[in-house]
Parts: sequence; structure tokens; C-alpha cells
Amino acid sequence: MNRVELRNISKSFGGIAALKNVTFKVIPGEIHALVGENGAGKSTLMKILSGAYTKDTGQIFIDDTEVQIRNTHDSRKLGIGIIYQEFSLVPDLLVAENIFLNKLGSTGFWMKWAKMNRKAEELINSIGFSINPFSKAGDLSIAEQQIVEIAKALSEEVRVLILDEPSAVLGSQEIKKLFDTLKRLKKEGVAIIYISHHLSEVFQIADRITVLKDGTSSGSLMASETDRNSVIKLMLGRSLDTMFPLRDSIIGKEVLKAVDISQEGKVTGVSLAVKEGEILGIAGLVGSGRSETVRAIFTADKLEKGRIFLSGKELQLRSPYKAVKMGIGMVPEDRKKHGVILSLSVKENISLTNFKEITDQFGFIKAKKESNNTKDLIKRLTIKVENEYQEVSKLSGGNQQKVALAKWLNRNCKVMIIDEPTRGVDIGAKVEIYNLINELSQKGVAIIVISSETSELMGICDRIIVMRKGEIQGELTKQEFSEEEILRLSLGLSENVAAGKSFPWMN
Amino acid sequence: MDLKKYFQFIIKYNTVFIFLIMLVVSALVSDVFFTSANLFNLVRQVTPVGIISMGMLLVILTGGIDLSVGSVVAMVGVLCALLTQTISLPLAITASLACGLLVGSLSGYLVSVHKLAPFIATLALMSVVRGLGFIFSKGAPILVSENASVLTDFGSGSFLGFPNPAFVLVIIFAITVVILKYNVFGRIIIAIGSNEEAVRLSGIKVSAYKFIVYTIVGGLSAVAGIITTARTAVGSPVMGAGMELDVIATVVIGGASLSGGKGSAVYTLLGVLILGMIGNIMNLLNIPAYSQQVIKGMIIIFAVLLQRFQTDKK
Repeated sequence: MNRVELRNISKSFGGIAALKNVTFKVIPGEIHALVGENGAGKSTLMKILSGAYTKDTGQIFIDDTEVQIRNTHDSRKLGIGIIYQEFSLVPDLLVAENIFLNKLGSTGFWMKWAKMNRKAEELINSIGFSINPFSKAGDLSIAEQQIVEIAKALSEEVRVLILDEPSAVLGSQEIKKLFDTLKRLKKEGVAIIYISHHLSEVFQIADRITVLKDGTSSGSLMASETDRNSVIKLMLGRSLDTMFPLRDSIIGKEVLKAVDISQEGKVTGVSLAVKEGEILGIAGLVGSGRSETVRAIFTADKLEKGRIFLSGKELQLRSPYKAVKMGIGMVPEDRKKHGVILSLSVKENISLTNFKEITDQFGFIKAKKESNNTKDLIKRLTIKVENEYQEVSKLSGGNQQKVALAKWLNRNCKVMIIDEPTRGVDIGAKVEIYNLINELSQKGVAIIVISSETSELMGICDRIIVMRKGEIQGELTKQEFSEEEILRLSLGLSENVAAGKSFPWMN
Repeated sequence: MDLKKYFQFIIKYNTVFIFLIMLVVSALVSDVFFTSANLFNLVRQVTPVGIISMGMLLVILTGGIDLSVGSVVAMVGVLCALLTQTISLPLAITASLACGLLVGSLSGYLVSVHKLAPFIATLALMSVVRGLGFIFSKGAPILVSENASVLTDFGSGSFLGFPNPAFVLVIIFAITVVILKYNVFGRIIIAIGSNEEAVRLSGIKVSAYKFIVYTIVGGLSAVAGIITTARTAVGSPVMGAGMELDVIATVVIGGASLSGGKGSAVYTLLGVLILGMIGNIMNLLNIPAYSQQVIKGMIIIFAVLLQRFQTDKK
């Protein structure tokens, strides 16, 4: 018996086929991973199952009976729970209110606060976390918000649970707890669909793997009968030789130096320096103050304490305006909220950082020059777009990230800060982004990269700083790089603990 | 299928359609509507709202709002009339304009530097400035000095069959169109309304741009105030009461989103004409003023519902 069967599903958006005759089955008590590059149609397929989109053709069966899913209400009634990549929490409501949002209207006139909070707390505890149900959802860290999202999905009787990139914002310990919960649900007979870019995770948790490529299914495999390379081959249609470029840029003089950066409650006394042509990585768990440190250097947040030097000269920064003017650029962590403007075109996004080049002295835009400039960058970064007028919201995550990078290539920065360069980006685009970062460093740009993916940092950086609880816990040179050491430092453990196999989920 | 396409076409260009419908309906229900005297009158009536609506469009594009415009019209009108009695006309006009710019820059300062919600900051100023208008005039209408006949002649006169002030509107409209389409200022303002934080992190001084748009709308309100005073030869502290709502309505009928990032000068001008025609035709039909308000409000709801339909479609 199949819990879910999607049969010959097709869906197009404005004439472009996102899904072509996809068939996908999940049995009860199974964790079924759905993998594929960005734009392969994973999220679209799941949105059809959850009722966020409606299919063009095809059939949906739940427990072998055909069902009609016209909206999210229909799917909820069928016991389908989904945790989206983009969070759907209401920031101004409390955690408990968010969890029971669907039921708030049906509890009668009076809010049953005590009962609601107790149940919310129980739910969160049951997945191994503790979050105060009285806090506002908007005040939580991204990882905690993700936990609340999961609790919300579990607040109803789910028979099918869909997780769309749940681990992207979670640290490794949190991922372990998530996996424990998934294993428990699996035992209870829930059919789980797990979308992820992290193949190592997929192999840890999934029973079966289905690969989507360009809107078609390129096959379902039992996880135990396949390996990483075969899956990558299916995803890309080719095998992946080397992910990371060869690092051979010439490291020169010190460019940026930050001394004793402190941000109340987030960062304590962090000092760091980057040289010309060097790529410095910052590792650490979510909430370790990585992003806060670079945001303070870029003065995206007000710099509370600390000094910043550029080529030996102290800067008085008060806003990103000044930082950018001095030659510092930052690709922020949250691409959709801060990195690009979704409702504007690729051209308008890219031009945003450098109007001087494309305007006359009265601020009138030289249309031809702007178009050519944009086209050059689109070509250089191989951004997949119809033309430079396409709205950024219509692009896949990887291409949106390339736009966010293109903005800064448009300006010759001396220092580039890149926070999570490849989050939610498919493997093909990842490799392109790594090459691009490498290319920049070869031109002498000093680069700071923050990433939750340790392998990524080890692959592209010359040096890695590990942060924990707002402080620098250690610094590793290229020769000293090891996943265990970085993890040990980010967890703040003594050396012998890490040497043993205390982290079975890492392998 | 074809029917559906037509329907979508209408939804997409709803402002234009409402405008055309208003024209046809007006022509059908009143013989007087298409007389040059009436059209002259219509254009003259909508000019002040039209001038301010261009500035309001800029503010709304950034995601803000300015409720103080009607009060600025009154205060500047009073000041301008008062000043003609004591100083030379060019000085009086310059000083009046400066006052409008000052109020606008004060809103801009509160919104951009102190991050006050635009609604609150300008609501407070709306009250302050309206009060100042009454204080300056001691509550009575102020006559423009007879020495300033150049001003009143301009205000009541016409050129090539159009009322003089309409040319001011046309110039301001043209500048707005050009700025929004071809200038970096317009580009940045739209970007701010779409995603302010992303613009700030791109190294653009968001607060400076916000400050400027509020200053502009203050200045344009002053222009509207001077023009109204010029036309009537009187500066009255009760002028422009409720005008802020008319101005906002025209921008919204013109398809702008109050959350920013979306709007057009051409459609806003159509919105101005639509709102003007509603008032004009009801006057021609001798509909009592109170009923006019009800009907006007209903037509605005209808126009905005049509636009909702468009956004829901997406």
C-alpha cells in the first residue's frame, strides 16, 4: 500500500514546464528523500501535494484512493503536514499561538492560555527542544523558528510529513534531534518526505531516494543500495570530479583589520584580519555570533564597540553607505530578505550598488550602458535568465544568489564579506560560486566567508576562525583543517571528547 | 477563452477603463459636461490635488504616507496672503514655499532619522500645521493684497484656453514621469518601497532619500496652497480640509500599493481626473454634498477592488 502516490503529475508556469509526468510514491513508515538541483521541481511537486499549487494534469492518491487537493485546507484534512523552506510563522504572535494558529478560531470565545501553552511546550519538548511558548516568534533565532515550524506541523494528526530543506538553518546538534524525531514518527507509521541538498544527511536518514532533474523523475533508489556519487550523477547528469577550485592566489598585505568587536549579548571582543587575496572562513554553530560579527564590521548593525582598519587606516563607519564607499561589500545571510529585491528585475538589482558608473551628472540612467553592464555580469556568472528585465523572484535560489553576488562584482570591492554563499543552492551552482570566489581572491580581493557547511569552508578557505557564543574559540591554518577539530571548537569541547566517536551522526 | 482575455485586459488597465467609463457616463448623463466652460472648471478644480498627488506618489512609493498635506495648503495659503500685505510678491512666494518645504523636511526628519511611523509623524504635523494656519490668520480668511494682482491674475487667468495653474501641474507631472522612469532617484525610491533593508545593505543612504521625498511633498503642498490662494484671492485656514484623503485616494486609484514599490505617475494623474470627474458630474447633477461623499467613497472602493482582483490573480 502506498500512503502517497503522485501519478503523472505535470505543472507549468506561464508556458514553462516545471514538472513533466512525475510519478512519486511513499509508503507508510518510510523516510523518502527528494533530491535534485534547484529548479528541478522538488518544491513545486510538494506544493502540489500540500495544496499550495494545483496540478495541471495527473492524479493524487492517498492510501490508494484518489483525492482532490485544491487548497491547503484540503491537504490538511487529509493529514498532510508541510514545513516550508520559507517560514510561515507570524512574527508578532507568541510561539504557542503560532503552533495552534489553525485552531485559534475554533476554541470558542475565550483563549485557553494555560492549556495552549502546556500543549505547545509538550510538543516542543517531544522533539527534544525547549523554547518558551510565551516568546514572540519574531524574537527567536532562525533555528528556533524552524523548531516551532516543526512543532506546528506536528500539532495536528499527520500521516504524511513533508520537510523542505529543514536542516539548512540548523546546527549539527539540532539536526540530530530532528532526525531522532523523524525516526520516531517513522516508527509510528508516518510517511515522511525529506527534501534536502545535503546528500550526507540524506544518506543518514532516508530509506529511499528519488532524484528529480529538470522536472522529470530520474529514478528512485533504495538508500542502502546506492551511494553519493551515483546520486550526484543522476542529479547533474554527469559526475562531479572536484567541487573546489585550486587555491593558488598570492596573499599580500593586510587589508581589513577588526579589533575588539563587541555587540551586546552577541559578540564579545572579536578581532580578526584578512589579507589581499586571502579567503578567511568563519565557522561556528547557528547563534555563535558569526553573522553578527561581520554585520558589525559592515555596520549593517550599529557597531557598539571596536575599531575597524582598512589598509592600516582607521575607519569611522556609521552605516553600510560608508562601508561600501570605502570598498567593503557584503552578501548577507538572508538572500530573499536582504540580498536581493525579489520584485525588481535582475538589472535593477545589479545596478543598485553602483549607480555612478551608469548615470550622468544629473542622475539620469544611461540605459544602453546599464543593459550592457548587466548582460556582461549575467554572462560572467552564467546566471540563467530570459533577459536582464526578468524579475528576480522568478529565478531559482542559485540564480538569485548569483544576482546577489553580481551586485558586488559590479563594484570593485577591496573586501568582500559573503555570509552563507551557497545556502539552498544546487551543486552545479555551488561549484560556479566557489570558482567565482576563488577568481575574486586571485584578483587580490580580501574575502571573508561564513558558512554552516564545514566542508565548504575547508574547500575554499586559506584560514578558518571558529566562533562559539560570540567569541573566537580557535583559528586553523590550511594544514590544520579537519571537520572534527572545527566541530570540537564550535561546541567548546575538550580535545579527547572529539577524538572519540562522540558524534556518530557526523559520519 | 477570448472573453477571459478581455476581462484580464480590463483588469490590467483598470485605471484607464474607469477613466473611460467615467467619461462616457459623464457625457451621457449631462449635456453640460463636455462644454469648454465645464472642462475648464474641472481642470481648475483638480489642479491642487493633482500637484500634491505627484509628491504623494513618491512618498507612497517608498512605503510611507503624508497626512499633513491639506494642513500645509491652508497654512501656506494663509501665510502667502498675509505676506503679500507686508512684503514684495516674489519674497512672499519664496517664503511661503520655504514654509511648505520646512514642514515637509520636518516630517522627513522624524520619519528618516527618528524612525517614527510616517502615519503618526504626519498625523501629528497635520494637527500642528492646521492649528498654525488658524493662529496666523486668527481664524479669519485673509485677503490677498491688491498690490499682488500679478498673483491673483495668474491664479484666475488662462492661457490657450487652459487655466494657468494647470500648466504648473503639467510641468510637475512631466518632471515626475521623467524622474521615475529615467532617473536614479526614482529607481532608488521604488527600490526602497520594495525592500528597504536590501537597499540599505547595498550601500545606499535610505534615510536621505526618505527625507527628500517628504520635503518634496511639503514643497508641492505649498505650491498647491499658493495656487489656491491665487485663484480665490483669499487665504483661508479651512482650505484643504480632508484634502489629504483625496490626494491619497487618487494615488491609490492610480494603482499604487500603499506598502510601497508600485505606482505610476501617469495612472496617478488619471486617478486625479477620475476623482475630479466624480465630484464634477455630481455637481452638475445637483446631487447634495452629503450624498456626494457617500458615492465618492463607494467608487473608490470599487476601483480598489478591481485592483485587488489583479493582485489576487498573480
